[in-house]
Order: sequence, then structure tokens, then C-alpha cells
Amino acid sequence: MSKPRKFNDPAVLVMPAVLLLALVFVGPLIWFFIQALASIGTPAEIVAHAWAIITSKAVVTALSTTNWISLMVTLLVLLISYPLAYYLANNQGLRFTLVLFCIVVPYFTSIIVRTYSWMVLLGRNGIINQVLQHLGIIDEPLALLYTKTGVLIGMVYVLLPYMVLTLFAAMKAIDPSLMRAARGLGATGFYAFTRIYFPLSIHGVISGSLIVFILAIGFFITPALMGGPSDVMIAMLIERSVEIMFDWSGAAIMSLLLLFATLVLYAIYYRVTDVRRMMRA
Amino acid sequence: MNQAKPASPGRRKFTAGVAVATVAPTMFFIGKARAAEQVVVRTPGGVFDDVKKETIYDPFRKETGIEVVPVAATTAKLMAMMKSGQNELDLIDTGDSTLLELEKSNYLQAINYDEFKYTNPADIDPVVKRKYQVGCFIYAMVLGYNTKAIKPGSEPKSWAEFWDLKKFPGRRTLPDMASGTPSLEFALIADGVPMDKLYPLDIDRAFKSMSRIRSAIPKFWDTGALSSTMLADNEVAMGAIWSTRAAVAIDQGAPLGIMWNQNALLAQAYGIPVGAKNLANAKKFIDWSSTPEAQARWLAKYKAIPVNTKAYGATSKDLMDPATGTPWTRSKGFLLDINWWADNRQKVGQYWSKWIIS
Repeated sequence: MSKPRKFNDPAVLVMPAVLLLALVFVGPLIWFFIQALASIGTPAEIVAHAWAIITSKAVVTALSTTNWISLMVTLLVLLISYPLAYYLANNQGLRFTLVLFCIVVPYFTSIIVRTYSWMVLLGRNGIINQVLQHLGIIDEPLALLYTKTGVLIGMVYVLLPYMVLTLFAAMKAIDPSLMRAARGLGATGFYAFTRIYFPLSIHGVISGSLIVFILAIGFFITPALMGGPSDVMIAMLIERSVEIMFDWSGAAIMSLLLLFATLVLYAIYYRVTDVRRMMRA
Repeated sequence: MNQAKPASPGRRKFTAGVAVATVAPTMFFIGKARAAEQVVVRTPGGVFDDVKKETIYDPFRKETGIEVVPVAATTAKLMAMMKSGQNELDLIDTGDSTLLELEKSNYLQAINYDEFKYTNPADIDPVVKRKYQVGCFIYAMVLGYNTKAIKPGSEPKSWAEFWDLKKFPGRRTLPDMASGTPSLEFALIADGVPMDKLYPLDIDRAFKSMSRIRSAIPKFWDTGALSSTMLADNEVAMGAIWSTRAAVAIDQGAPLGIMWNQNALLAQAYGIPVGAKNLANAKKFIDWSSTPEAQARWLAKYKAIPVNTKAYGATSKDLMDPATGTPWTRSKGFLLDINWWADNRQKVGQYWSKWIIS
């Protein structure tokens, strides 16, 4: 191990990014938490204050809403992404490029613009409701916007690429000859899929789901714009504490809660995904 | 059920450290713009700046040689900037209640009206001529309605009628807590409290009153953009909306109408932060942009009411009550008490958080 580190050593290459993050993100973050919490008072007072906030009805409800929405979003994203990723993994050329293009390009547009576009589509007098009414399928406009349904649609759309790309990477790593062998030995397509393909892609399913869930619990813009009055997610409470009430210690406590949940999930994610194996692939 | 403690210990005792972290990134882009003579102004950004650049900033530079450098910052960022002692601003152009919050933390300098050279201080509307801030324009929270859903003339004529779900079925919107100021005043007026006896607000009664129409409100708006979008798209038939937002939307062809009765007067204002590096320029800018000419030129485009009473003659007719010849805010409105809100915003916020999920 006494060999001098080479320039292309991953540890060296990752250094600038680590330093930058430590300097402008991790450092200030820790500083913020310490300062904001210290401003409350003694450790006992901090604990009492934090407990009062965490157990308040507003925060408890926001946490359960956040978890429920994030869970639903994750499941829906998974259901939509799996066939898409399968298609991508098993097609080349124009088809591959076209589908990938459709998934990735919206990703480069501002999330606010995309959310407002959804509002145009989903509104009571929006395109979807108008078409459905003209076709006589519905009499009254559907409540798609300013409901949990609206939040789900918006968030699923924004988070889709993360799942598709994660699943795609996992599926690409599956040796196609395994499926051919299964078919050759007489397995039906369905049997081969459930016994060979799906278990081999489960890595991608779990890591994709965790990444989507982690991103979903911190969501702010989509639920704020597309949700109903009571669809309050935890990030919205944090924003309001900072911007409207200037209650920064309260915001810090809620942020710590969110950060803690995220870190726990990230630890699971790290255990499940073999990052090094993905790098080699 | 446990509840968060009403007082926020963090607010006053806040230390510089937190703020530095929040503010540091802004320093980059303010730094590069250090030209000869300038005044660095916090503004709301966007269209606001586009209009103001053409009607105020550019003419001001031509006449005085002072470059106006607009910088965007949220209220929280302003607070952080001031707390950390890292103030790079010479002037803050924002809502009157934000300035009041800054004033209460001793971050503002008094406005010296005696030094005015361009503007006669006596012409400035007294309701926005305060010790630590001076209004730059007046607007109001009004009752806006979609003219396709409600024929002009048959709109609700008061907040009591807005609250009347039988006479006016249909969907409504009101401001969210996240807008800073939910419409407790309108809720109380609708419940029978006279306009001149609103303060101190009876929070409990106001929320009870709002509960009566809660079922007709699919969404409370948090940004001005959302309120005008919802009304223009007929997502809601009527709602409380900022008069400037509604008027600009009408200008752009949106089917909106404004009902001015019982409007809540609001003000955008200037304040000079402690430690302003170009103090003289900031003073000159306030003075220069408060003249009747500057106000008329700017506010004709922005659809707001001038603070300079001498500019009323050039003000859009839509903003003036034909019966009195004064702005609607003066003839039919009441002054939103920003002092009451500064003292009670946290309390209302906690009430709101519980109410909205119940």
C-alpha cells in the first residue's frame, strides 16, 4: 500500500467535489443547526422545544402526509418506470434514443414551468377536463388540481427519470443469455420473467425506489402549487417557518428531522446498491 | 395534544453565524457590480424590475449619473444579511410589513424628509409616510372575480356577500398563511365587525368565520401569480387578490373584474438599511423617485396608486373613485395594520397550521 497515489486514483479525483461540498454545504449546515439550536437555550430547553414541535398536530399530520404521498409516488413511479426501462434496455437505435429523449429532456426545464404546465392541463377548465366533457365521459369537471391526485401526478412526472435511469442501469447489467437459456429449457415468458429477470433487477427496483422516496419527502414546489389546502408536506412547513414566521430554530428542528430521515434511508440505499459494481459496469 | 410553544426564542437571540451561511452566495454577484456611482437596491425582481428599469432606473441614471443595481432577496435572506452584519444593500424596496420587521430589529435608518430636494414631503400620503420607511406605491387587497363566471354588476358588493355561499355559490380563493397575511380582516368584516373597529383582530372569531366558507375554497394562494392564474382560468369564480396583480392581468386581456368596496390598503415601501455604503445615493433615489412625474410615469404601467398625492391627476381612472376623486383605497378601504401583524404573525401562523388540517 506504499505505492504513491496516482493522478487518476478515484480518491484524488473526488477530492475537489468533497472539499467543495464540505466547505459550502456540510460546514454551513452544521453551523446553522448548532447556532439555531443554541439560540433556544440550555440542552434541556432545546429538547423540550424540539419535542413540542415534533409532537405538534401540524408537524405530525405533515409528516404522515409526507410519508403517504412519498410512498404512493414511489409505487406509481415504479409501476410506470419498469416497463419503460425494460423497453429501453431491450431496444437500440432510434427507438431507444426517442424514448430516452422523451424521458430526459423535460428534466432540463425548470420545475416551476413544468408544474404550471400541469396546472393548465389539469384545471377545471383545463384541456383534460374539456376533452373528457366534450366526449361525454364526464358531466362535471374532475377535481384533478388542488387535490392529492394533482400532487401525485405532478410528483410522479418529475421523479420518473430517476427511477427509469436507475432501473435501466440494473437491467442493462442482466445477461440476456440467461433469459434465452430459461426459454430454451422450456420456461414460459412469464415464468422466465418472474424467476430470472425480475429477481435480477430487484437491486435497481430497491435503489430506484429509495432514491425516489428520498427526493419525494423533501418536495416543496409541486405540493405547494398543485395540492389542496390540507396537503401540507413537511418542506412546506419548514419554508413557512423561515420565510413568514422567522422562526429559524423551529425550522432547524424540522429540517433536522427531515435530514435524519433522509440519512437513514440513504444508509439503506448505500447498503443495497453496490456503488462500486455500478461504476465498473 | 401537545403544541409548539408560542414564542420563538430563536428570533431575537439569533447569532451572526447562521446568517453568514445563508448570505454568502449573494455576495458573489453583488461584488462584481461595483461601478463608479451606484445604489444597490433589493427589489422583488421579475416584471417589477423590467417596468421600473424603463421608467425609473434609466431616467435616474441619465439625470444623476447613479447606476441602480437591483438585487433579489427574500425576507429571510434580508434578515440573515442584516444579522450577520454583511449588509451590501443601500436601499430595500419591499412590502411595508417586511420593512417593519427589519425596523423592529433596529436594522433601518430613519428617513430624513427634511433633506428632500426633488419631492415636497408634504405631498406624500401620510398613511405611508413613516419614520423608518416611506411608501413607493399603494395597492390593495380587493375582491377580484372572473367576468365569465360572474357578470360585472352582479358581483358580490361586500365581504359579507363574498361569504354568502347561498347567494353566490361557486368557488373562491383567499390568501394562504404562506403569503404572509391571510384575510382575517375580511373574515371579520363578513362576520359583522365594522371596518374601523377591526384591530386588535379577534383571531378566534376570524378563523370561525373562515370555516364557514372553507368548503368553497379549493386552494388558498401563496403567491400573487397563483391568485391571478386561478381567477383568470376560472378555476375559482372570485377571490381576494392584490389590486396590482388583477389590474395587470386585466391589461393583458384576462377576464377579471375588481370590486373595491372594503379593500385593505397595502404599501410597497423604501427603507434604508443600517450600514448602507452609498447612503447619499439611496436618499437621492428615494427623493427623486417620489416626485409626481416619476410616480406617474412608473405607476401608470404598474397599475398602482401613487404615494405622491400630486400624481393623482395622472393616475389610471380605474384606481380612482369617481364619486370622491380620490383613490379607492382612501374612499372605500381600510389600512391594514402591519404593526398588529408583526406582533401576531407567529400566533396566527400556529393557529393556521392547525386550522388548515382540521
